[in-house]
Amino acid sequence: MSSSAGMGGDAPDLVCQLDCAQGMVDALTSDAVVEISEHGVVLIVEESGCLQAKVYLKRELFLVYEYTAEGRPRFGLSLGLFVDCLNTFSTPGHAPVIEIRYPGSDMQLLLKTVDSPDACIYAEIRTRIPDTISWDYNFQSTGNVHATFTIRSAVLKEAVDDLEWPGSSIQIVLQPDPPSVILRGEGHGDLQVEFPYYANTDLLIAFQCDHRVSYRYKYKFLRATTSHIPNSVLKDNRGSKVTIGRGGMLKIQHLVSVKRAGGQHSHGDTSGGIQQLSRIAYIEFFVKPEEDEIPVNDT
Amino acid sequence: MKFKAFLTQDGVNLLDKRFLPAVDKLGRICHVYLTPDHAMFLHNLLSGDGMQSVAQFNKDVLFRDYRISSQNAGRIGFAVDVALLHRALRSALTIQAQAPDDTAAIQIKLVKKLPAGSRDPAPFLTFETKGRVSAVVQDVPISKPLPRDDVQQLQSALEAAQDLPQTLVQVQDLAQLQSLVDRLRNVGDLLTVAITQYGDLHLQVSTSLITVGSEFRRLRVLGVRADPPASDGILSAPTRTEMAIRKGEGLSAQVSLKHLAKSLQCHLAKPDCAFYGIAPQGACLTVIFQFFVPGTRLTDKSISFYCRLPVLDPGSGP
Repeated sequence: MSSSAGMGGDAPDLVCQLDCAQGMVDALTSDAVVEISEHGVVLIVEESGCLQAKVYLKRELFLVYEYTAEGRPRFGLSLGLFVDCLNTFSTPGHAPVIEIRYPGSDMQLLLKTVDSPDACIYAEIRTRIPDTISWDYNFQSTGNVHATFTIRSAVLKEAVDDLEWPGSSIQIVLQPDPPSVILRGEGHGDLQVEFPYYANTDLLIAFQCDHRVSYRYKYKFLRATTSHIPNSVLKDNRGSKVTIGRGGMLKIQHLVSVKRAGGQHSHGDTSGGIQQLSRIAYIEFFVKPEEDEIPVNDT
Repeated sequence: MKFKAFLTQDGVNLLDKRFLPAVDKLGRICHVYLTPDHAMFLHNLLSGDGMQSVAQFNKDVLFRDYRISSQNAGRIGFAVDVALLHRALRSALTIQAQAPDDTAAIQIKLVKKLPAGSRDPAPFLTFETKGRVSAVVQDVPISKPLPRDDVQQLQSALEAAQDLPQTLVQVQDLAQLQSLVDRLRNVGDLLTVAITQYGDLHLQVSTSLITVGSEFRRLRVLGVRADPPASDGILSAPTRTEMAIRKGEGLSAQVSLKHLAKSLQCHLAKPDCAFYGIAPQGACLTVIFQFFVPGTRLTDKSISFYCRLPVLDPGSGP
């Protein structure tokens, strides 16, 4: 601006007045949409209208879950603040019980520690009216059966990492004969990763497909579905479920163990198995296919 | 103007292991203020802005054969670089360790010397240590002794600082407070501190998007105390604090989180506990560190160490 003034033009390149700085702050803060229901809490993050991530925290994950609302309240929340906040609450070696409440008097999300009557940390995070979800992620199967496979999470991540080299666009093919999954990248070069179902039962845990299905997906979205999966998922290596739905909608589901620190709240061992199952959170990614692709044999 | 004394062994340990590291963290340059009865390390008492700190010792804790005289009722003040002072003390200690027995004492005195390459004599605080084979003299450069007006101002600032808050609450776990403050620093810099007569300490940082706070309840209270209202346990921490302030049973003040973090560096002096209080009219946040006589639970009255955090905006409530 100073240089343009020096050039002789008195007018700066831009003058604007803002009557609501808060609106600007809101717009610049990346948000997640939180939906609460009698079944639990769902966090939804969307990017570029092409990728949607959902985290399901079932009510069984919580020590206490009291839900009285009608309908399913939704609110927007800065994910970064929420994560920072949860980090502020726990110190190394001490994981307090945190109570989360919604809504506060001004529709805030309220958090506080409740395990000690004489010392507490609390936080109030401002929420917003959520943006309407711009694109419908309704997932429908392509035919009579889902075209789906379950693969070790670490293997999927490795395959997607390898496909970085050709880059840009990745074709995913599921074919029933011979039953196999093919990930193919064509860009700076060609790279094809093939998982034959019968060759190694350790790689593909499950496979279901009654006709050939093929779609292309942007590499950066595909990578987003595996690049940030928690280390515990890779360590447990339970398996990630990949499904291609109607119109090529890709759904990738990871299971995350939500372990209790030191088992301090475990309720006996008779229900150990059920406890273990209910300590799972789901992360789902939905990826839209590239539009120019003509589906092959997709009915 | 004369000053000369021998450091006691306790004094050397206190300064070397505890107080000089703490004082150094509070600010590199401090004022040393010597009176016929006390020796003090002061920060920001003359300038008036920033966090004030006072570490005061009964002269017999640090020294023996304490000789002091001046035109200002036997009071001398000067500024010194704490790191240099600490370095001189440490090397004096090394020499002393080589002595055959504990008799090798460290003597300190104020001198005027001609520094190398200069024609004007400059003031120094000199450490003289006699070891087994050598005697070492170290000169720590100091500022010119403070003029009479400044000494007077220091004295009145100290006397003003004697006014204690009406209510003080005791915080035992300084490490816990420190870790909390470190985490709150990620949120913002303006901290609202509230202290109630029920023994509640409430800290809160707020921005337009988020408010994070912490409350410590039922702390030990010194001074004016009151019984908490019945059934206040169900209220939220901010509401409870607001009610206490409205009833005149609590005070709140806004301070810089940086100042509070700095004051917590005083834990390097290994105090046995700390008290927090807000001065009348919310003038400042006072932190008083308490030391016990070694091996007892009795307060050591010969040492006093406190900080006064300036209030940024006298708030009426959190």
